[in-house]
Amino acid sequence: MSAAVQAQGVGDERIVYRGPVQRLLTSPEIGALVGTVMVWALFWSTGQNFGNAGSTASWLDVAAPLGIMAVAVGLLMIGGEFDLSAGVMTGATGIMVGLFAQKFMGDGASLWIAVPVAFLAAGSIGWFNGTLVNRTKLPSFIVTLATFFILRGANLVFSKRLVDKVLVENVNSETVRGFEPFRKVFASVHKKEPFDLRDPIFLTLVIVGIGALVVSLLEQSLVRRASARTAALSVMLAGLVAGGVGLLLAHRTDGNGANGLAAVVGFGGLVAAIAGFAAWRYETHAPTGSWITHRGVRPMLVGLGSMLVAFLVTRKLDPAQQRVLLSVPAHGVKLAIGLVSAALGAALVGRRGIAALRSRVGGSRRSPLAIPKLLFTMAVGALMMLVGVLTFLQLTTEQGFRALVQVGLGGFGLVALLAAKGAARRESPRAQLGVGLVTVVAIVAYAFVLRHDSQAVRFRSGLFTAMLLFAALVLANALVELRQVKRPAANAAADRLGRLLGVVGMSLVSLGFAVRLFFTGAPFRVSILWWIVITAAAAYTLARTKYGNWIFAVGGNKEAARAIGVPADRVKVGLFMMVSLVGCLVGMINILRFTSVAASQGIGEEFEYIIAAVVGGCLLTGGYGSVIGASLGAMIMAMSINGIPAARWNSDNRFIFLGAVLFTAVLVNQKIRQKAQEAR
Amino acid sequence: MAALLELVGISKFFGNVTALENISTSVEAAKVTCVLGDNGAGKSTFIKILSGLHQQSEGDYLIDGSPVGFASPRDARAAGIATVYQDLAMAPLMSVWRNFFLGSEPGSFGRFDTAFAKKTAKEEMAKMGIDVRDLDQPVGTLSGGERQSVAIARAVYFGARVLILDEPTSALGVKQSGVVLKYVRAAADRGLGVIFITHNPHHAFPVADRFLLLNRGRSLGDFAKGEIDRDELTRLMAGGAELEALQHELESR
Repeated sequence: MSAAVQAQGVGDERIVYRGPVQRLLTSPEIGALVGTVMVWALFWSTGQNFGNAGSTASWLDVAAPLGIMAVAVGLLMIGGEFDLSAGVMTGATGIMVGLFAQKFMGDGASLWIAVPVAFLAAGSIGWFNGTLVNRTKLPSFIVTLATFFILRGANLVFSKRLVDKVLVENVNSETVRGFEPFRKVFASVHKKEPFDLRDPIFLTLVIVGIGALVVSLLEQSLVRRASARTAALSVMLAGLVAGGVGLLLAHRTDGNGANGLAAVVGFGGLVAAIAGFAAWRYETHAPTGSWITHRGVRPMLVGLGSMLVAFLVTRKLDPAQQRVLLSVPAHGVKLAIGLVSAALGAALVGRRGIAALRSRVGGSRRSPLAIPKLLFTMAVGALMMLVGVLTFLQLTTEQGFRALVQVGLGGFGLVALLAAKGAARRESPRAQLGVGLVTVVAIVAYAFVLRHDSQAVRFRSGLFTAMLLFAALVLANALVELRQVKRPAANAAADRLGRLLGVVGMSLVSLGFAVRLFFTGAPFRVSILWWIVITAAAAYTLARTKYGNWIFAVGGNKEAARAIGVPADRVKVGLFMMVSLVGCLVGMINILRFTSVAASQGIGEEFEYIIAAVVGGCLLTGGYGSVIGASLGAMIMAMSINGIPAARWNSDNRFIFLGAVLFTAVLVNQKIRQKAQEAR
Repeated sequence: MAALLELVGISKFFGNVTALENISTSVEAAKVTCVLGDNGAGKSTFIKILSGLHQQSEGDYLIDGSPVGFASPRDARAAGIATVYQDLAMAPLMSVWRNFFLGSEPGSFGRFDTAFAKKTAKEEMAKMGIDVRDLDQPVGTLSGGERQSVAIARAVYFGARVLILDEPTSALGVKQSGVVLKYVRAAADRGLGVIFITHNPHHAFPVADRFLLLNRGRSLGDFAKGEIDRDELTRLMAGGAELEALQHELESR
């Protein structure tokens, strides 16, 4: 082993090599990524239609303008500034184009003139914001607040004076010259019917993509073998064949029928293929250590317990019942819930205080106010928890609660089991395999429970298949961890190949899902494409250009950046202009789509952009963040806007939901950042 | 051989305040000149003149023997004079390699060649004997001494001929200071002229080849290493005759 390790280049012995998973876990967008998956799963399991092509098209339609703006605002936040005029800018540019196209010189101007003028105006306003912030050194919060009010007033004044309404309407191909070409670019709808080969293409892309991702992970964390091992190669090939045959057989059934043999063959084949590949290509060692884990026991029990509770609650609650949950239990049970939640709140808040008191018992330095203070904070905690739990029960329906429990506790149990596996790995590879086997059994059992429980096809076949696939990957991972040597240091060649495969894999999987989603006859707006392009461009700029470096620096330490030769003022002005121009783009998307725009359009949305960016991991004080995270944050918000009605909850709940998401995301991001810095 | 950088009779007046009066010293390649002075001695004004932020009121500022007049810090940087300020000109949340190339990113058409940047940052710091654990870690998580080292390595890499260090050890503990002093020496050994500003004679003495002592805007002397010993340096720094008078006064009570 050691010779092989040396051949790969030994890293700094003071740092533990951080593999791809650790790197992902310490990236700024991880909180938003997990949140997106959780929120999607929640609404997917609750709402009748959430997740099918039509509803996905409609929430993506909400997400696109929000996401475009969140990316721009996120960049500006990384650059250390805010723009409160970003929301109203989307309305102001729309109003401007509408009025210009209808009223300019009597009978209006062509959009070929109106749209460029709007962009020019937006750019100038952005320039004005940036220059004023630079010159006056006032907080951008104040400067752009002023711009916000000016634009808001101008919208009202001009629309009232010119069309005598607070709404500019009928901006369409009959009243406005040059409408069609602009509508095509900014607001066209694309519908494509399914074609015969769609599902095979989808499956192929996803399977190849997942394969590439698996190889990418192995490549980035294991040590390559010096010489090939043909025995393992044949295991891999056999596994591939078995996996393929199993998959085909399973696919030939309707997904509801019990084709146990096919599933087992496919499952085993997949595991054998991955383990065989790893043994063929990477260095192995004999498994060592004890089978018993000590550190992993607690999280393992927590995980199993949580899954069990989820299962029991699921059994008790009615999947179709939509009455308010609080009205269900008897008074005694309600009282018990209240007491338990109050006690829990008091315990959570007072935990540290109680521990501190306990440790100082007998000491003489205890302040006379310590106990009253502790009691007070505990009472506050109890009250908060009590109100929170009761409000929550009042807001949610039996059906919704059931879904929350299924997704929440099930997901939590899964995470706890995986954490247990990680903890056991630090003790010995064998203990890790043991916990891994428990995890796999738990996942498979839970998959069967869900399948048995539900009538919906997507649970019976979609989720079931996904969970089994995941269980196979966990098992394969446990076997690889048992036999293969972990790479202790970075290896430029292997890491490059691994990263490349990772990107290819991600792209293939996304492409597969995109194909499946797009060719369904559901209407997709071109704004989604704008969103993707802008996010990609911003992410590239931030990570791979000098401007990105400057944006980080200007947000992190402006004076230092200036001293080292970064044109800090120009960077800031550029960022403000970029936000305004992007605001104008969104304004165009809106007006060309709805053919009308209200004077109040976009007011209040500036905070939604900021929330999306913060949820995505952008630091409020600047210098840190991710635009991909901001995009994901926008997705979370759009999903909750559309998903809450789809789950048949009162749609007013979405603000509470958003507040909770914001709160959780910020806490999680903070925690992760701390962890990330400690780990170094 | 002409000195890399030479000051002849430099004075600086702000209105009727005399900040510096008739200061002369020189910096040679591969040598360290230490500028020592207590608070208010004129050290900051001295740095600002050297780095082009201020212009001297009188006297000559010579580089390679010919007089120069810098209009801005940019001019000074172009002439190869790099200043590492106390606040270090770094963004704490950015990684080491991003900070290393900040403002001079490699790559064409605005692209930032990150692979080259990481590799070069690692190599350059290794050349200086600086061993940062992980280039991806944010600069804010480095210790003060490590941060100073990164700043020094960066100045060296970007072609500085004269390196001005503004109190690099003032905020550091004993061990950290030692590390920075090592890098100061390493920079000089790579052929740079170093101007090392400090108020601590114990930090100055081991690394310096020449000492300039400032007190209340005036020069107390410009010594080569052999001309002065550590005790004399400490005595001059501590206030010299003034301190003796004070001691006398305190004892006689």
